Parts: sequence; C-alpha cells; structure tokens
Amino acid sequence: MMGALAVCERDIRKFIKQPAVMAASIMGPLLTLILLGSAYGGAITHVPVAVVRESYGPFTSKFVDILRNEQSCAFGGINCQNSFQLYDVAVIDTAQEMLREGRVKGIVHIPLGFDRSLSDKVNVIVTVSLDNTDPLSAASIGAEVAQAAQQLSSQIQISTANGSIITADLENYYRNVLYNEFMAPGTFVQSIMFVSIIAGGVQLVVDKERGIIEGYLVTPLKKYEIIVGVLLSGVIKALFTSIATFVLAIVIVGIRPNLDILGITLTIFTLSLTSLGLIAMMTAYAVRSSSADVYRVSSFPINLTLYYTSGAVYPLEGFPTWMKDVSMINPETYSVHALRLLMYKGAGFQAVAGDFAFLAVFSALMLALAIVVFKRGL
Amino acid sequence: MDLAVQTFGITKTFGDFTAVDHLDLEIRHEVFGLLGPNGAGKTTLQRMLVTVLTPTEGTATVAGADILREANQVRERIGVVTQASTLDLELTALENMNLYGKYYSVPRKKRQEKISELLEVVGLADRAKIPVAGYSGGMKRRLEIIRALVHEPEVLFLDEPTTGLDPQARAAVLDYVKKIHEEHGITLVITTHYLDEAENLCDRLAIIDRGKIVALGTPTELKRKISGGDIVEADFSALPDTALKALEGADFVLEVKRRDGGLTILVKNGAEAVPKIVEIVDSKGGKLRTITLRELTLDDVFLSFTGRSLRE
Repeated sequence: MMGALAVCERDIRKFIKQPAVMAASIMGPLLTLILLGSAYGGAITHVPVAVVRESYGPFTSKFVDILRNEQSCAFGGINCQNSFQLYDVAVIDTAQEMLREGRVKGIVHIPLGFDRSLSDKVNVIVTVSLDNTDPLSAASIGAEVAQAAQQLSSQIQISTANGSIITADLENYYRNVLYNEFMAPGTFVQSIMFVSIIAGGVQLVVDKERGIIEGYLVTPLKKYEIIVGVLLSGVIKALFTSIATFVLAIVIVGIRPNLDILGITLTIFTLSLTSLGLIAMMTAYAVRSSSADVYRVSSFPINLTLYYTSGAVYPLEGFPTWMKDVSMINPETYSVHALRLLMYKGAGFQAVAGDFAFLAVFSALMLALAIVVFKRGL
Repeated sequence: MDLAVQTFGITKTFGDFTAVDHLDLEIRHEVFGLLGPNGAGKTTLQRMLVTVLTPTEGTATVAGADILREANQVRERIGVVTQASTLDLELTALENMNLYGKYYSVPRKKRQEKISELLEVVGLADRAKIPVAGYSGGMKRRLEIIRALVHEPEVLFLDEPTTGLDPQARAAVLDYVKKIHEEHGITLVITTHYLDEAENLCDRLAIIDRGKIVALGTPTELKRKISGGDIVEADFSALPDTALKALEGADFVLEVKRRDGGLTILVKNGAEAVPKIVEIVDSKGGKLRTITLRELTLDDVFLSFTGRSLRE
C-alpha cells in the first residue's frame, strides 16, 4: 500500500506545482456561474413596447398607467423594475414599422371604443402584437399585458359590483433562492468534471505517452497499487477543487447555502462520491483513448452533455422526453439534485439516500470498469 | 560463477516480425554493451529483461531471478533508465528521487542517506531543491541515472543513455556511469549505437542484428576478429591502373576497397605499410594527395559482420 500512496503523492505534488490546472478547474465553472447566472437569472425589464391609442378616455389612461407601472422581479421577487419602456405611437402603421425594425418588441393596440365598451361592461379585445423571434421577451410581454388587463377589469368590477374575486395567495416555502443559487450545485459538479478531464485523464494519457506508466512497471509497484494511487489522487484533487469552488461561490458570487454540520458533512460526502464516479469514468476513458489529443477533444462534448442534461441550469421538468431519459442515467443529475436538497432545503440523509444510492452504484461500476481497462491497457 | 544476466533461447515476435530470435547471452558483473542499429532488437531484449515485455519463447534470469516466475524479485534487484526521460519536470531532484525510493519501499532514513550520497556523486547536491525543469540535458540524464540507484540495484539497465546530449555532457554522463560501476560494483547493461561510447565504456559487447547476436567479445577482441589489421585511407591526384594492381598484389595488403577519390586499404601493420604504399604509388607514376592511417573502429567491425554500417 505504501506504493499506492507514493503514486498518489506524486500526482498530488505535481498538481500543487501546476496551479494553472486547479485555477482552470475552478475558474471555468465559476465563470459559468457568474455569467450564465447573471444572464439567465434576471427578470426581463424595460422592454420597449409601442402603445397605439385609438380611444381617449379614463379607462384607456388607467390601463396605460397600469402597464407603465407593471413591475418585473428577479426570481424570488427581488430587484423589481418596470417591465416596459412605453412609446406612445399615433398610428398602427408606424408601430408596425417600429416592430419590424426592432425598435420595439411589442405593440399594445387599444382599439376605438375601448372606453365606451368598458363603461357599458361589454367585452373588449386589446390586440398585442409580439416580436416572437425573441420568445422570452414575447412571453413576458404577453403575461404582463394579460395581468394588466385582469387588474383593470377587477378594479372596474370592484368599483361597480359586488362580484367575488378569486385570488391565489402565494406562499414561498423556502427563503428566496436566486437563479445563480439554483445553478450553483451544477457548478460544483462541473469543477469535479473539469479536474477529472484535465488533472485525471489527461495526466494519465500524457504519463502513458511519456513512458511513466511503463516506468512504474519496472519497479516493484503492483498494478493494483498504481490504479489505487492514480484514482485516489484524482479523487483528492477533484474534491479539493470542488470545495474551493464552493467557498469561492459563497465569497465571490454570494451564494447562500443553508448548511449545518450534518449538511456540510453530507455535502462533502456527495462531492466525494461524485468525484470518485467521474474520476473513475474519465480514467477508464483516458486509458482507452489512443492519444492525448483525441482524449482532450472528445471529452468536451461529454462534459457539455452531462452538464446540460443534469438539470443544473433548467428544471428537468422542462426537458423534452429524450433529454429526460438522458438525465435519468446521468450521474451529475443525482449530484445536483442531492446538493440542491442539502444546500437550500436543509434536507437530511433520508432525502438524499436515493441520490447516494445511484451515485454509489455508478461509482462502483466505473471503478470496476477503470480497473479492468487499466489492467488491460498497461 | 554467477551471472548478472543469462538468457535461454529468448524470443519475441510481433506478428510475423521476429524482434529477438532465440538469443542466448551471458552477462557477468561487468559493463556490458548491446550494440546495434535501430530496430536490431536490442531495446526489445532489454524490455524483456526488465519484465515489461513477456517473451514469446524462452526465458532469462536477471540478478539471479527468473523474469517470468520471479518478476517481482527481478524488479527489486534492477534499476532501469529508459531512453525517453520520465522525470517529473515540475518536481525537484529530491522529490523525484524520494518518490522513486518510495516505489521501492526504501525505508525513510536509508532513502535520505542514499539520495544525498548519490546527488553528491553526480554533482547535483547544490541544485537538489530546484525544479528539474531548470536543469540542462546532461544534468537531467545524471539525475535520471542516480534515481534508478536509490534502491541499490544489482543490475542497472541503461537504454541509449547519452542520446540527445552534446559531446561535453555525454562525456560527463559517461564518466559518472563509469564511476558508479567502479565504486558501487553495479553491473551495467547499456544499449547504444554510439561506437566510441561502447568502445570506451564497455568491458564486453554484443553486436545484435535482426534479433541475433552476430559477434560477442571485448572491443579489442571484436576488432581483432575481422583481421587484426589497420586501415589506410589514401587519396590520389593520379592513380594509374598499374599502381592499383601493384597495391592489390602487395603481400602486406589484405584488402583494397575503392571509394570516391581514393582507396581504403586494409593492411596487416599500418606503421610499416604507409611508406611502402607511398613507394609503390611513386614508382608506378601515381600521385598521392593524402594518406592517413587509422585504427579499426567498431563501425568497421559492424560493417564486416552485418554488411551494414551502424550509421545508416
């Protein structure tokens, strides 16, 4: 066993002397968290919208005021800002031209007779034209205008009749979780994957090409000691890097996990189990790769697939069926799921036991594969 | 007498290609050279002896242990320096050596003593704590050689130990290798295609070609084997046929070979032959431009045994 520790020690020493490897493994995922988290997490506000009024009365003014003051908020109802930047446009033709030229993303057309219909309590239709080449903004405009219309009609009803109005009373079960917090668990898993690719697999392929593995074989080191040493060093490197990423995500990005001692322990256990599975998987893959270049190039699509099908950036419920199927057998799905439960819900062991079971089975399979491939590949 | 290495019909084939062909070899506690051009089978032979490759047929003992049945004992008793460097450049000399000591389970105290002793021997003690990346080619080689000695092996295998080094660094490495053999009594098995290296360093040599030993002996013995003579290289401004005939017929001449601009003449005794050649050429109306006498080299030996030059 001393041999395995020596093999492991060599890898760790090299890792420490090459800070660029660890920096890349931390910075890549952390940048994703900062950039993707900022780009996707925010509410869509100040969308330019043209308002064409063909009716001039109190209801029209009221409706436009509601639109003007409509607020959109980030996940969790914070950082609320005006949804629209409204432009009053006299004729519909001008508004349509503005839409085509991209100066506005929607047109709210208040028709002739709007005020009269409302005072008569007759249904009236406000036409909303949407630039649906930007589906997210379009959806946001549609929802906000519908909400404004509902608000106006309820105000009219309140002021004129005693009809009961049903409102849903929303209650957040947990504290507000921002989008970048939602995607943070995937970031930690990705840092493990980065180390598995860069410091686990590539290192091994390079060692093989340089004859270092053959160099091991002329010493009394047993094959199993080499395998154990290589895998052990990989797990230590990946675990260390993911914990460093975790800490930096708290310090730099402002992620606020809700962890007690048990939670921290279970989180570290999740990260360890994930490290073992991914390191073993990439080790097996690296040994089978014909060259370092082939390995490097082909490991990027593997990383992308695992990351985006894990539910790290979007809820699994929104995936098409084929992608749901992929996520079912993706180990990162279970890591991300377990980490979210632990970090934001204060879940105990019971809640994550299923995730652990999958990760344990996956790790065991990959370990077996790595050992078989390694023994044959040496 | 116990041998450092003994092979018994050792053979290695790769598909249709026979790299090492039923080879029998005995290496004593000496500096032994395996000489041959690239692809001759010397590296394959060495890789079998260090237990990395399994022979297709036959076996061998190294340091008293069988390479097939007792591979682990073999590994404990040998040191190996491969052709391509396997040093970790980011790590210091001390770290590189320490790790190797651990691979061989050398106890800590002994390891530290041995490492500082070896670093001293090859003049690297004062730079032991800087990363190896900052070393010159010669220093890296020296480090690599002593790294293979931390566990005090009985036999040290060196594969092309001076390839890629400048002449000065080569000389230094060879000096240290000699010193290691003389002071520590370690058997050295060196593969090389540098003739001067083999000639100066090795007690005995085997010339390997196409997986077989074509000649075996001390460098002097090998040279004597082809004729026991010297070589005269002569260039002419004018060489009438009569002069050439007279040279070929002379009793002190063993063989005359034509080459561009002159002749290579194999003679029994160079010192006596040169004036005689001058005299013959003069008397037949030829004109000598230069005449040089040189000793036989291993290249001549190699050429005569294999029909090929080593430098090809």
